[in-house]
Amino acid sequence: MSVFNPQENYFALLAVPQAYELDISALTSSYRALQREAHPDRFASGSERDLRMAVQQSSFINEAYETLVSPTRRAAYLLKLAGVNSDMSSTTFQDPEFLMQQMQLREELSELQDAKDPEQALDVFYRDLDQAAKSQKEAFSQSYNQQQFDLALAAYAKLQFLEKLRSEAELKESELLDY
Amino acid sequence: MALMQISEPGQTPEPHQRKLAVGIDLGTTNSLVASVRNAHADTLADLGGEHLLPSAVYYAETGETLVGAAALAGASADPSNTLMSVKRFMGRSFADCTAASGAKMLPYELLDQGQDMVKIRTRAGDISPVQVSAEILRSLAARAEETLGGELTGAVITVPAYFDDAQRQATKDAAKIAGIHVLRLLNEPTAAAVAYGLDQQDEMAIAVFDLGGGTFDISVLQLTKGVFEVLSTGGDSALGGDDFDHAIADWFVAATGLENLDMFQQRSLLTAARQAKEALSDAETVNVVLGDLSQSLSREQFNSLVDPLIDTAIRACKRALRDAKLRSEDIANVVMVGGSTRVPRVRERVAQWFGREPLVDLDPDRVVALGAALQADQLVGNRSGDEMLLLDVIPLSLGIETMGGLTEKVIHRNTTIPVAMAQEFTTFKDGQTAMAIHVVQGERELVEDCRSLARFELQGIPPMVAGAARIKVKFQVDADGLLQVFATEESTGVESHIAVKPAYGLNDTDIADMLKSSWEAAADDKDARALREQQIEADSLLQALSAALLQDGEAMLSEAEQQDLLAKMETLHHEREQGTVASIAKHIEIVGKASELFAERRMDASINQALAGRRVDEL
Repeated sequence: MSVFNPQENYFALLAVPQAYELDISALTSSYRALQREAHPDRFASGSERDLRMAVQQSSFINEAYETLVSPTRRAAYLLKLAGVNSDMSSTTFQDPEFLMQQMQLREELSELQDAKDPEQALDVFYRDLDQAAKSQKEAFSQSYNQQQFDLALAAYAKLQFLEKLRSEAELKESELLDY
Repeated sequence: MALMQISEPGQTPEPHQRKLAVGIDLGTTNSLVASVRNAHADTLADLGGEHLLPSAVYYAETGETLVGAAALAGASADPSNTLMSVKRFMGRSFADCTAASGAKMLPYELLDQGQDMVKIRTRAGDISPVQVSAEILRSLAARAEETLGGELTGAVITVPAYFDDAQRQATKDAAKIAGIHVLRLLNEPTAAAVAYGLDQQDEMAIAVFDLGGGTFDISVLQLTKGVFEVLSTGGDSALGGDDFDHAIADWFVAATGLENLDMFQQRSLLTAARQAKEALSDAETVNVVLGDLSQSLSREQFNSLVDPLIDTAIRACKRALRDAKLRSEDIANVVMVGGSTRVPRVRERVAQWFGREPLVDLDPDRVVALGAALQADQLVGNRSGDEMLLLDVIPLSLGIETMGGLTEKVIHRNTTIPVAMAQEFTTFKDGQTAMAIHVVQGERELVEDCRSLARFELQGIPPMVAGAARIKVKFQVDADGLLQVFATEESTGVESHIAVKPAYGLNDTDIADMLKSSWEAAADDKDARALREQQIEADSLLQALSAALLQDGEAMLSEAEQQDLLAKMETLHHEREQGTVASIAKHIEIVGKASELFAERRMDASINQALAGRRVDEL
């Protein structure tokens, strides 16, 4: 087993370039290749110590993958690597356009249950959400590439808001569709 | 003259010495052992040619312990010493077991051990479910060693994907008692997917629908060139074919007006119910007979008895697909597992919901054991080259108690395991030297709604001002889904480590409830106000309707219409008292709908009256 280095950069570990734009299928295939080597199942008849090491290493690979595969977590991780504090508690929004969009989305969400076909209304809402997220991802990518970290941070904050909306929508979906 | 054997340099005349490894499906009703021979997985039969070992243990008067069919033979004569379906009690306390739905007609005596795992009173003493499971495992291991002719290196034992930490730990403990080295605890649905060999194809998503005797699991997997990734898993650990039997038994009791059944009658009735269920797979009508009582049961009646149970399963499917971020049309194959998927109604409903015929080529009772055998064979190093990789997920979120009895989730459900997460905490008093950590498992926001896994205290924190200590708590879940917790004070390195010794405080129903209510009632967790608002809305609707009924009900509604509306109002009133935000809202809607006609007629009447009035005025 290769030497396990918990300090290792997730991008280096998963053999993808350190950037926001990411080839997800390349990421996923190197993730699977790494797990093939490191997964505890490879050490099922090995020593206790090997097994323990494998559990740690495999956990680390999972953590690295889940961080990079999520657009929001990936953004936070890039900011962290760039030395930018992405703690959201002090962030305020000075972007009236985004605030307006947020309000519209919230309204859309609150009106879902009155829709004739809530399932379809949900689909529309998710699409709007995806659309909004897409432009923030692009904004993040652009600012990050130009090393404008304050702008990147703002885009990341907006992504987080959109993610929160998504989880609220999912809750609503469960209620509406009687899961 | 004998030919002399000459071997190649560096090779022994013996072919590569294969290690003996088996897959064991430790089921609620039946158990199986399988192994790979000549690159082919097969279940192993006992001397009488039987593959299924009934999961039953009989403590005989002679002091003997009988397992399987031999144990079942004694069941009707001596039910209190014949233990069946103990899988339901693994890792469960007395309170859990008695609350669980299937436990209401138990023919043997459960003993309250407080927070500890329940025990069962037998003539051989008070027996833990772990010991009973160990007897079954021992019997299967012995069968395998006889058949394969050697000592077992290890076994892969399957568990429902849904099993929490306590249930997994109990299963592993049982193997330890039976002297079996556990290579891996494997989730049953993953094993089934492996058995179907679906990994040969390039890339696809599949669903595994596993309805066993006592548990229901639904898992969604992504298969990519030998990698089995579980995307999501869900289900109900208190739903299974046993519930179908109980539904028939309850129907029989209601239909015949039987009262106060003794243990023998209960056992006989459940047996008759099971036989009826099985017969209805082919027959259109069967007679359920108990003593001199007989009732005819049609397949249609049976379908309506079990439909509510299947509804529960379908709801879990929806949830699992959503968690996997897939739609039912993305699923390339549905694999059927568990004896209860033989029920035609189950297949029908699954085909209907997924929009495709499910895979039933492999015996649904054996498929899990076959997959486990393939995995075991690989884990001991017999299979090389086309190695598969099984990436499972954790079924329930792990969290810790924070101030105010709230749960802070540290590892979310459906995260790929193994997984490690660390969280930092600090002291809130000057000079605080100890800190209690309470680990819980479940989806709800309040600690009291989750299962308590462990409490432990980190002691010897160096005295510092409040907020200065930095305590890092690390959760490590291994590939078997078992949790360990480590805590370290960062600035001084004071360390504390526990393998979670589960407190058996939560029952199967609670798990199902935990998951179910976490999405149904997440709103009232977050905001008790939402509940209050719904209650107020229900109240005002009920008040308005009551007043209107009092005034115009007789005049404008038929007797039947009135009765219908009143019944729906009654239900809403009940939900208002005991229901969740979602259920109250649902019933407000139902009552609203039901009263539409009434409202229309009242509206018409008042318009007529107004018009009539005007005419009078005008005259």
